[in-house]
Amino acid sequence: MEETNETFCVGIDLGTSRSSISASNGERHVIDSYVGWPVDMVARKVIKKTVLVGREALDNRLMLDLRRPLERGLIKEGAKKDEDAVQEILRHLISLIGLKQKSKNRAKLRAVVGVPAEAFRNSKQRLRSALEGVADSVMLVSEPFAVAYGLEALLHALIIDIGAGTADFCVMQGRYPTEEDQRTLPNAGDSIDEQLLKLMREHHPEAQTSIHMIREWKEKWSFVGEPKKPVVVTVPVKGKATDFDITKEMGEACESILPPVCETMLDLLARVEPEYQENVRNNIILAGGTSLITGLSDAVQKALADLGGGRATVVKDPVFAGSDGGLALARDASSSDWEKLSL
Amino acid sequence: MADVAPNKLRLLKGAVQDNVDLVRGIRTPGLGRRKLLESPPPDPVQRKRIRRLWLWSPLSLVVIAYLLLPSPVVSLRQTAPIKTFEAEIKQTPATAEVKVPETEPQAPASEPHALDRGVIPLAIKKIVIDAGHGGKQPGAISESGVSEKEITLDIALRLRRLLGKTPFEVIMTRQGDQTISLDKRVAFANTNKADLFVSIHVNWTEPREIRPLETYFVGPSDDPVTIKLASMENQESGYSLSEYRRVLEKIYIDTRRDESRSLAKNIQAELYHSLKTINPELDDRGVKMAPFLVLVGTEMPAILVEVSTLSNEEEVQLLTNPDYREKIALALVRGIRSYASNHNGVDRKGS
Repeated sequence: MEETNETFCVGIDLGTSRSSISASNGERHVIDSYVGWPVDMVARKVIKKTVLVGREALDNRLMLDLRRPLERGLIKEGAKKDEDAVQEILRHLISLIGLKQKSKNRAKLRAVVGVPAEAFRNSKQRLRSALEGVADSVMLVSEPFAVAYGLEALLHALIIDIGAGTADFCVMQGRYPTEEDQRTLPNAGDSIDEQLLKLMREHHPEAQTSIHMIREWKEKWSFVGEPKKPVVVTVPVKGKATDFDITKEMGEACESILPPVCETMLDLLARVEPEYQENVRNNIILAGGTSLITGLSDAVQKALADLGGGRATVVKDPVFAGSDGGLALARDASSSDWEKLSL
Repeated sequence: MADVAPNKLRLLKGAVQDNVDLVRGIRTPGLGRRKLLESPPPDPVQRKRIRRLWLWSPLSLVVIAYLLLPSPVVSLRQTAPIKTFEAEIKQTPATAEVKVPETEPQAPASEPHALDRGVIPLAIKKIVIDAGHGGKQPGAISESGVSEKEITLDIALRLRRLLGKTPFEVIMTRQGDQTISLDKRVAFANTNKADLFVSIHVNWTEPREIRPLETYFVGPSDDPVTIKLASMENQESGYSLSEYRRVLEKIYIDTRRDESRSLAKNIQAELYHSLKTINPELDDRGVKMAPFLVLVGTEMPAILVEVSTLSNEEEVQLLTNPDYREKIALALVRGIRSYASNHNGVDRKGS
């Protein structure tokens, strides 16, 4: 709203698995949160770039020192390379929206970045540092809060943002959420991947699988409850392509996140003022990439049955819900607010 | 800002304030941030008192150092029973050791004696969780910038959530990033008539390779390391000199000590057994006695647990993992429940 020719607003959802950006010029992009540097001279000659980001990095991973620098939604601790990788992701996202970063007269960039609800202060400080030289002013907000703001679900709503690294919960009660209103769980997309990989190794030890294959299968065929059709994957066994029915393993792995997610949801609901609990129960909003698991909203509603029922819906655009919310916040903040948050 | 709806504006201001606090390196109770319900903001009289106590605090530390020194200084004290107890304690080799051995130091033989649990049926209903440090008192800070106050609050909030599923009533000395002096924490527990007091801290130890896990209950200590730790943790005293003398005497005559020791043992055992599976380097330092002010002043069984150490970066790595903090909170719950169930068993027997 306070945007001028000299200012440019973006919302960024910096995710463990995928990162998205929504910009005030209408551009929206999502990339895989991977960064890779060529491992040697040969790789550099083949790739012809000093660094690769996103899908390009993933596709060329054998020639790269590949990093997935975000762990549970935040920069991994202790590794300078991971901090550099986060900067590369941020620069890449900014480049995608067409903002000329190196131009002398470029617009001032105001960025709202989503972080896990229970992120530590020092983790946030590191993220702010990583944004130096990328944006001019930065506001960090909890991911589910950004989603709620974007959807204008500001009163009597429970946002559950399930990404790869974390599941973030936030009860919206018409005020800026307190620590009491928010929770972060480590049980999210990555824990499903780990579980599925473990089950594959137990049930089909002969199958040659990797975590990247597992992630692709989950994104295509994940489900909870009754499967709509069998999940059959083709995997090499001693080099020979072989089909495996992994319906049971997929269901079991996906359902592994239900108990902690439902328990946390019920715990937060029980803390809402009694007269508003029903309103919140009927306004549960699922966001984040992992909310795309088939049957997830039904499973959540089933968990609510004991409390008298409720309604859970998946946002229309789970991948961009966080970055769109961030953009809305960035636009609504005044110039004086942004001045306080300059880098 | 005219066309932003008031409800959105309120939320936006909260987000901005939260970030301004982050930029400034402080964490004030911002818009919508949870307030400590049990302790309203101090009025001008209270503020004056706090200022006065601040002035007294360094002097109090000098006094405690003097009073913990051997006999020439002790002889300055007028209260006969204290002298008797100290003399007796000096003869007890166990008190010279940091770790409480199998034959733990017993409460003094002279009056008052520790109360036999069976005499009066007791029930544990209300538990105070005390997240160490907070606000302007960050406590220990790791090299990577993790502060004790953040870790203790996080574990305390987890503990409260987990204990919320039990029949216990749980109250907290702080629920956010507030500066609360030690005397206020003690007063909070006492005025709320709590049955147990659990203070959560994270240590800083030398050499940095060590990874101690230890739980304290009230009592004197001759161990210089323990005394140093107690003086560090007691820095936010808030007690005046006149109050301090009275408080210090309780170290020796307190009849709650056996109960506190029992609670400490349960918590230490659960923590060590739970954490050693993922942290095999953990050093079980057992339960110890120390004159921490929050343990001295409280009138119920009270313990102070140092759940980890911020001087060891591997411990810091573990502490930044929410799973590990949840594990700590779960172990604390088990320790409390284990103590409480033993207690109830005795109660039933006694009644």
